[in-house]
Amino acid sequence: MTFIAADVNELALSIFGVVVAVTLVVTYFASKRVASATDFWAAGRGLTGVQNGFAIAGDYMSAASFLGIAGLIFLFGFDGFLYSVGFLVAFLTVLFLLGERMRNSGKYTIADVLSFRMKQRPARSAAALGTLSVAGFYLIAQMVGAGVLIQALVGIDFTLSVILTGAFMIIYIVAGGMLATSWVQIIKAVLLMTATIVLSLFVLAEVGWNPIDLFTQARAESPEGDAYLKPGLFLASPIDTVSLGLALVLGTAGLPHILMRFFTVPDAKAARSSVMWAVVLIGAFYVMTTALGFGARAILGSGAEEAVGTGGNLAAPLLAEEVGGGAGTVGGDLFLAIIAAVAFATILAVVAGLVISASGAVAHDIWSNVVRRGRDSEKEEVWVAKIAAVSIGAIAIAIAVIGGEGLNVSFMVGLAFAVAASAIFPALLLALTWRRFNTSGAITGVLVGVISSIALVIISPTVWPGPDSEGGALGFYDLANPGIVSIPLGFIGCWLGTMFAREPAAEARFPELYVRSETGLGAELGTGLTLTGRRAAGRSAAAATTTLPHP
Amino acid sequence: MTQPHGTVPGRADVSSDHLAVGSEHHPEIDWEAAERSPEFRELVTRKKSFVVPATIFFLGWYFGFIILAGYAPDFMGEEFLVDGLTIGYVLALTQFIMTWGLAAWYLRRSDRVFDPLAKRAAQRALEAGRADGRGGGRFERAPADRDEEVTRR
Repeated sequence: MTFIAADVNELALSIFGVVVAVTLVVTYFASKRVASATDFWAAGRGLTGVQNGFAIAGDYMSAASFLGIAGLIFLFGFDGFLYSVGFLVAFLTVLFLLGERMRNSGKYTIADVLSFRMKQRPARSAAALGTLSVAGFYLIAQMVGAGVLIQALVGIDFTLSVILTGAFMIIYIVAGGMLATSWVQIIKAVLLMTATIVLSLFVLAEVGWNPIDLFTQARAESPEGDAYLKPGLFLASPIDTVSLGLALVLGTAGLPHILMRFFTVPDAKAARSSVMWAVVLIGAFYVMTTALGFGARAILGSGAEEAVGTGGNLAAPLLAEEVGGGAGTVGGDLFLAIIAAVAFATILAVVAGLVISASGAVAHDIWSNVVRRGRDSEKEEVWVAKIAAVSIGAIAIAIAVIGGEGLNVSFMVGLAFAVAASAIFPALLLALTWRRFNTSGAITGVLVGVISSIALVIISPTVWPGPDSEGGALGFYDLANPGIVSIPLGFIGCWLGTMFAREPAAEARFPELYVRSETGLGAELGTGLTLTGRRAAGRSAAAATTTLPHP
Repeated sequence: MTQPHGTVPGRADVSSDHLAVGSEHHPEIDWEAAERSPEFRELVTRKKSFVVPATIFFLGWYFGFIILAGYAPDFMGEEFLVDGLTIGYVLALTQFIMTWGLAAWYLRRSDRVFDPLAKRAAQRALEAGRADGRGGGRFERAPADRDEEVTRR
């Protein structure tokens, strides 16, 4: 078995090397500072709004955004852009309903907020189940995507690519915790934005600086003609389109690795401004997917449909090669190599965020609170977190390698969003806003959300009876995106479970959670941890007065 | 450092299975009174009067767009002002502008209205706690900070 194929792209490999070296230096600095559990999971709550905004952008925009959307637009035109819109608008849900409240109420994991006034062991187990399902599906999708892309772009064998990705991810987390993860994500966001801006400018130059020509030239290059600029080529069923929109706009507000980022800032104000920064960056990026996707169609033409691969993932890199001067030229090779390295950095940042959120669910929720019932030391908790990160990483590598390139990535990502929207989002929102909501409601809600999402995806035409088949397992149900059914089911599960039990203790603690989530009174304080060393100096006077005073 | 980080004093009034490890419960504050205080009520009312309509608006605008994309593809494909630019793409751009605009508006409102109100409500609850001698102005440190100190030495 040869690990490295004959046609390794040395240029791409060396740019990869530089990117990885920079992230490892950052991890080294972080490793010397991260000691407590707050450092490990919340970067000492020392990030600024701007830093966390970049990190959210880096955590959120996966290779599915960068390469996947460009590919979908290249192949199917307008429908691909629907994803761009949904992925951005979703942040209003986060900003209005959850961001600041998470910061004020929680410590390290979403379970802290969900179980705040519930019976700890069952409620935390339910939240951990939701977190692990979302992070698991998303992680495997990213790992498989990483393997496929690196193999295609750099020429490193699929298996080795997956192992390398997993290994770097584990190193970041075990050595540098959330501090290293955050900085990897910040670096990635800067790289991704810069690369996308440069590529978009090249594309615009190519079409004569008139963005409208992007559309007319793309239409001219598509065999579909006018239909290319209309919805319906990719999402043929209207109800499926609405269902997808629902899962995108509510699912983001239930992604544990995104919500966890709000614990890394000192107060609610910084949480809010980090969403603003994220919205500006992510929005700018998704507007530019127009140039990447329609540009790829206009410039590469329909002749490239074979070359861009399944799902069109290679459309953006091939576009870079073309506008850089074409295959074989210095400019073309260099631009392709840069885009490949950026795609790799993109995946690394996302998988690191996913694994650290999963490690929180295992160590902080299940180990500390459920198994040890708080009798463990903080040191033990961090150790368990590191062991969990290594194990989760190893399992993800194993599944990705065994499942191989054939594993359906888009189905896994769809599943992650469906579970996030149907299991995590309803329970979190109700825990924060509905006084009567209780432990049994949280458990049934999460279980119904997880089970219905998975079951509906399994019987959907994407999976059953096989890919590209007509209709699902059941004749009457043929939705590819389960959101429109599973999200209401998740809410109904929360409501039904609540109604079956009375829990005065949970209702009695509602005022504390309510007042705390809205005012920040009693919220966790930061330790002022920064990458470069100033500690505890940055805590603002405002933060000190809105939280409890210190002796 | 090796002390269990779940032991936080002052938990007598809440049954132990409802308490998170290390998540500091603050019995020194009368949370029910804080919730009833006029300051907190005002914060919640003012905030709701922004967030609820804004949420309804953005969900409506977004799903209006998605439903049109699903059910009226031909309308979405119609030309808008110039050849090549479709109504669908222009509506998609309005989603971006809406997101940026609403986010910026919410930030402004928060800085000017909600944050000062939240601060007042928090202050009020703290002072009430002091007045009836529950906390006397001295509060237990958050466990994270306590561990922090020990670790750092």
